[in-house]
Amino acid sequence: MALSKKEISILIEVVFSILFALIFMPFFYENQGDNLISINNLIGKITPIIIFAVLYFSMAYAVLELIFKAETTVDERDDMINSKSYKLGYLLYELSLFVFIGMLLTNSILQNTGGIIFLIISLLLFVSIVKSIYQLYLYRTF
Amino acid sequence: MVLKNNLKEFRHKNNLTQDDLGKSVGVSRQTIISIERYRYKPSLELAMKMAKELNVKIEKLFYFD
Repeated sequence: MALSKKEISILIEVVFSILFALIFMPFFYENQGDNLISINNLIGKITPIIIFAVLYFSMAYAVLELIFKAETTVDERDDMINSKSYKLGYLLYELSLFVFIGMLLTNSILQNTGGIIFLIISLLLFVSIVKSIYQLYLYRTF
Repeated sequence: MVLKNNLKEFRHKNNLTQDDLGKSVGVSRQTIISIERYRYKPSLELAMKMAKELNVKIEKLFYFD
């Protein structure tokens, strides 16, 4: 199963989301009851996330460029696939908002800032992974 | 009614590879493959570009089955 450059770049995004969930989500999960919106907490947590993201994407795309030297063409099929996957992502995002509001109203732990941050990041990760996997599916089937 | 095409046939007649045709009309090889397999329906602009490149009338290149 040979993957194109576009398909591999989507996989890079999926792997990033999974790694992010594995590495950083335990912190947000454990601190659901705390007030995370303090300068010390934000700096202490956002800095490693930014460093990790920059290092990961720089290395992944550098390797990708080395493997696929030819320039890729972005055409109307890419636009169609992107619009379909972003439409699904948007619908999931809208649905997630209702779930988010429902959880905030019913779960007292989630009413802390730590809980809200955990919930928002979880929903964004879920939407991002589903959107990317659907995009990959469309690239393989269209 | 399904929109089909004779793209592969006319491409071979013009001795063009999928990559050649893709480059000449500004799309990727994967897009040409998708059109030849009837998976993707091209825009009117792309269909006309391909017809021009292959020296064939658009109604001969694309048809309803």
